[in-house]
Amino acid sequence: MPPLNPKAILDARRRLTRSLPKIEMNDEDAAEGGCGVIGLACEIPVAGRHLHDSLAQMRNRGNGKGGGVAMVGLDPAHFSTTAEVLENSFLVAIAYVDGAHRAAVEEKYIHSAYEVDHIHEVPTMENWEEELSALEVRPPDVVCYFVHPKASGLEAMVAESGLSPNDFKDDDAMAQEYVFRNTHRLNVEFYARNGRADAFVLSHGRDMLILKIVGYAEDVIKYYHLDDVTAHVWIGHHRYPTRGRITHPGGAHPFGQGIDVALVHNGDFSNYVSVTDYLAQRGMEPLFFTDTEVAALAFDLHHRVYGYPMEYLIESLAPTSELDFVMLPEEKQQIYLQIQQTHIHGSPDGPWFFIIAQAQAKGHHRLIGITDTSMLRPQVFSYQRGEVGIAFCASEKQVIDAVLNSLASEDKRFWRHCDKYWNARGGSYTDGGAFLLDVVKQDDGTFALSMSDKFGRTVNTSPEGDYSLVSAALDSGAELPFSANPDDIYQHAVESLQTMGWGEALAMVSEIAGECSRRDAVKILQRLLDRRYPTGTLRRSRWLDIVEHALISVLMSSTSAPCGDFVGQKTLGHRPKPVKPGQAIVVDARPYPIEGVESLARELVALHGEGWRHFHIINCRGHRFIGNGMGEDTGDVSIDVYQSAGDYLASGNDGMTIHMHGNGQDQIAQIHKRGTTVVHGDVGQCYGYGAKGGRLFILGNAAGRPMINSVGGPKLVVNGTALDYLAESFMAGDPLDKSNPGGFVIINGIEFSAKGEITELETPYPGGNLFSLSSGGAIYVRDPHHRLSSSQLNGGEFCDLGEEDWALVEDMLVENQQHFGIPLARLLTVDGEMWAPSAVYRKIIPLKNKALSVETTWAGEHR
Amino acid sequence: MMVFSSDEPKFPTKKLFEKTTHLMHDGLNARAFGEFPKPEALGDARWTDDLILATWFMAETGEVPENFNYMTGKSGGGFDRLRFKFLAEEQWLEHGEHLDTRLDLNRRDDGRQQLTPDLPIYGGGMSYGSVSLNVMLSRARNSVKWNTYMSTGEGGYPEELYQYKENIITQVATGYFGVEERSIKASPIIEFKYAQGAKPGLGGHLLAAKSGGDVAKLRGSVPFVSLFSPFPFHSTYSVEDHMKHIDWVQTINPEALIAVKVSTPKDVDMVAVGSYYAGAHIIHLDGSYGGTGAAPEIAKKNIAMPIELAVPKVHKFLIKEGVRENVTLIASGGVRTADDVAKVIALGADGVVFGTSDLVAMGCTRCANCEGGPSGRGCPWGLTTTDVELQEWLQPDWAEKRLDNYYIAVQWRLRDIMRKLGLTHISELRGRTDLLRYVSGDES
Repeated sequence: MPPLNPKAILDARRRLTRSLPKIEMNDEDAAEGGCGVIGLACEIPVAGRHLHDSLAQMRNRGNGKGGGVAMVGLDPAHFSTTAEVLENSFLVAIAYVDGAHRAAVEEKYIHSAYEVDHIHEVPTMENWEEELSALEVRPPDVVCYFVHPKASGLEAMVAESGLSPNDFKDDDAMAQEYVFRNTHRLNVEFYARNGRADAFVLSHGRDMLILKIVGYAEDVIKYYHLDDVTAHVWIGHHRYPTRGRITHPGGAHPFGQGIDVALVHNGDFSNYVSVTDYLAQRGMEPLFFTDTEVAALAFDLHHRVYGYPMEYLIESLAPTSELDFVMLPEEKQQIYLQIQQTHIHGSPDGPWFFIIAQAQAKGHHRLIGITDTSMLRPQVFSYQRGEVGIAFCASEKQVIDAVLNSLASEDKRFWRHCDKYWNARGGSYTDGGAFLLDVVKQDDGTFALSMSDKFGRTVNTSPEGDYSLVSAALDSGAELPFSANPDDIYQHAVESLQTMGWGEALAMVSEIAGECSRRDAVKILQRLLDRRYPTGTLRRSRWLDIVEHALISVLMSSTSAPCGDFVGQKTLGHRPKPVKPGQAIVVDARPYPIEGVESLARELVALHGEGWRHFHIINCRGHRFIGNGMGEDTGDVSIDVYQSAGDYLASGNDGMTIHMHGNGQDQIAQIHKRGTTVVHGDVGQCYGYGAKGGRLFILGNAAGRPMINSVGGPKLVVNGTALDYLAESFMAGDPLDKSNPGGFVIINGIEFSAKGEITELETPYPGGNLFSLSSGGAIYVRDPHHRLSSSQLNGGEFCDLGEEDWALVEDMLVENQQHFGIPLARLLTVDGEMWAPSAVYRKIIPLKNKALSVETTWAGEHR
Repeated sequence: MMVFSSDEPKFPTKKLFEKTTHLMHDGLNARAFGEFPKPEALGDARWTDDLILATWFMAETGEVPENFNYMTGKSGGGFDRLRFKFLAEEQWLEHGEHLDTRLDLNRRDDGRQQLTPDLPIYGGGMSYGSVSLNVMLSRARNSVKWNTYMSTGEGGYPEELYQYKENIITQVATGYFGVEERSIKASPIIEFKYAQGAKPGLGGHLLAAKSGGDVAKLRGSVPFVSLFSPFPFHSTYSVEDHMKHIDWVQTINPEALIAVKVSTPKDVDMVAVGSYYAGAHIIHLDGSYGGTGAAPEIAKKNIAMPIELAVPKVHKFLIKEGVRENVTLIASGGVRTADDVAKVIALGADGVVFGTSDLVAMGCTRCANCEGGPSGRGCPWGLTTTDVELQEWLQPDWAEKRLDNYYIAVQWRLRDIMRKLGLTHISELRGRTDLLRYVSGDES
């Protein structure tokens, strides 16, 4: 196999670019924007309709000015062709914004360039103006050309470009470059030149297709009749360009500049110009003028022209830096340094999260999620491994759950909870901030899903436990002590569960729901949902799905049969009065908009105005701002939130007790002032930003940037860890000041095994920016083995843990035990022995730098 | 010297206070009325000695002075090179109250309240901590008089301001100091501050000596420790996050108008239109040259785009997008005088924000010693300080009157400009670059 010859390929591209008219960006082209993204990879083909609800629930991350989908691993029947053609031919999909140009495009760039194996016109919705109310611009007509290069065309390329077959590793690589160049020419002539925007290539690859419109992504599915069209890998993308007058979808995502690749992106680069220059030096010119286009070009350059392995490609996009770089093995450091020095100008700087779909080879479909080094955009990864494996990456958890909900409603092989949800650590030595989801065809014709991180290490996506449901048994045999208190019933249920099969387990859940009072049933099921305990032979995620479903059913039953403890809201805006203190109202979130004046959050404010003080919010689908707007002095209010709450939960809390029964999203507890907020799971980015007080508890991990700019006296326990930038610019007083106590964060650095046992994380905090620029408060970290080093602090220093400190920590850990069942004694147990608190927990305080010392001394003298 | 107890300050005594303030006020007036020659070190090319003395004169008398140039500075650029193309004198309108200087702040037609200050001016954010409570109270009271608004800046919402809450804008900025549901609920306008023209890309830094006592208490920090506002919102790295921000405050206060304060980078037009689509009623562009002496000089003069360039750029872009009539465009950053106000409106803004001008009216000498030298106690005139002693030099009764007089003079001059251009409503001036001319060389 001849080696790659990137130089020859890029020289040829330079010549090509020079031979074409120069495309200048004009004002009309520019548009910045944010986005909402979801990607999935599945062992069985997934129909487009399953993305519909998910995308509809994420509309608020776009503005209807750009939506698109990408599909990899198609079904030939949906394109009226054969498997052979689908696998072997390039699928060149052309969008005709103006259909009048089709003949001209075909003559010049299809029939004269390619042998055409098949042509498929993507069907469209005729009455879209009535059906799709958000759609303002008619989407383009799309024609799929299944082609392969003409021999004469390849010869012509050799003749005109100076390239020879020896410059490519094989014929296919040469054909790919041929397709790339032909597409570029087409896009220059029919799209970019004079800003004409009549036609452009959506995607060019094998077994993959991109479709995009000026509109929302779910309207792509409707408009192009994708409800029943299947693919193994899907990406959906809402764009939020800042401009309003957008008339053609050229700037929408996904971008298909790379051969066999579709790339979407949430965020903005601050170095678009630099990346453009970097590409120009390599003979490439952007035609669509968005940062995503240049990212797609850079990806293709590194992958196809330079032939980098995926690890290096990811490193060039999201460089490893600071402590994470130091933590890499030396040989990696050497290579990474070379990559960074060579390609830093092509490395997108700023907030971004990429999802990339890639047709790797015949029957090998791939999805990649990569976050930027600082993790500035929201991102969640997850998988579910039943009879069928499926994995996701997305902007938020709720959109993943929406796909699962849709799948589970049709196909009993799926259920509504992933086995695991997590956030990637951008540019890190731990996972590299990127995961590859591969679906590969097996010898028997089925597909197998596997997952690996940036470094190629396989992620174990096969948790233990039986996931095959059977019908419920008539009797669980658990003999639950229904007359006992809920705590005891819970304990008994957990013990009984250890030896149960699905039949008995389902029966036990029914018994709890049916035999206990509603109040007790809610308590027991809440605890079964929240706590970490062994689930015997059963798959934990499926068990949680069952428990959660039962809990929601019990709460919902209060709509038709209200009782003294619970009243269900009957319809949108139904606002009864509480009949007795302590009575709770159950609100089904589904009918309410996620934000705005008619939103769920505003409805809760209205119900609060009617006298309600206790709320159970069920069926959340990304609903934002729950608990916001309640105002001051809300110490008598409690809110229990189930399923997928949206951003800003418990922000501004001024006294409420809020429980999130499951994972939370981003910006929870912003400017939290008083009260208690408990998340029985992980939390997303920017937790507790500007928090001023209150008691905060997180069972699992916090993603990037928690507790930034906190002042006053907030107290937080994180039982897992935080990804990075914990408590930057923390200013929260002095915790030991009796008259005006400041705030602090406790990190326990633990996780739970599949059996529900507490284990220690490798390090309680993996990042290099702990307590940076802090001027007040303290961090208490459970670190008996001194795994943290002062090199991770940037403005803080370790100091001894005193008795007064322990009194503060203990107080929080006692409550932590009540919320999560994490015994204080277990936290003090190290290697099987009970240690003194001061040996287990370390204290970090703000470093008294010289300037501050002078100030403090001065202030002290004047006190 | 520093007083931490709740005891009455023993110092300054009433007698000393009266004597000192009397002398200070006399000094301002003596210079403003030309009793002494112009101090040699007063002012700079942008805020000339004439402009400062003229502002003091207007603040004392409510009239424009005859002996000082109260219209332009000597910066050699921007506003100072622009003049009006006045009509021939016989076409001038009568001066009087029929010349309407009011400004509509809500143009979205979204059922929320309409706010219409008497002047196309409201007060920019100067935080409690960066200025004294007395300064805030003086500005708040003047805002009530002129039916206009004053932003809290990013230092919290002092209890004493709640009595004027109808005229107070709560600023939500990157540090979230003092932002809570109570203050958001109380405000007719919520202002998101993404950046300041005086120091774009930089955060706030309240020096340790200015963040003691009540300031630290209001911000919930350790007394006498430097306080930083980060340069970005750590929760907002995208326009979609910005929309979420706006949705968030609207959940708390659905009636409030939303103002978005941004600096003026190269792509300020994109930022502006993005803010509009995200739900902003007011887009506030803060250009370079604003800021007190506490903002780094190198940042003030070198980073942001001057407002004279940014306003027409954004104005035209909003017209092109077809949304110009649905949003209020406010300019700040070096807008010093009534003439500047009229010029920036002619360039395409609807109105302006005053910051430094208010301070000058209250006696600021533009000495740039806002942080108060080595002691860090702050402004020797009692403006940009929270030192318990120094802040007493400025009392609201006096300062409020000064501001009122100054605004009377500003309104008079605005009407003077309008009548000489033949306009009866200030909004008719918007975008009328044809009424401006550029002067070069000596003429400036």
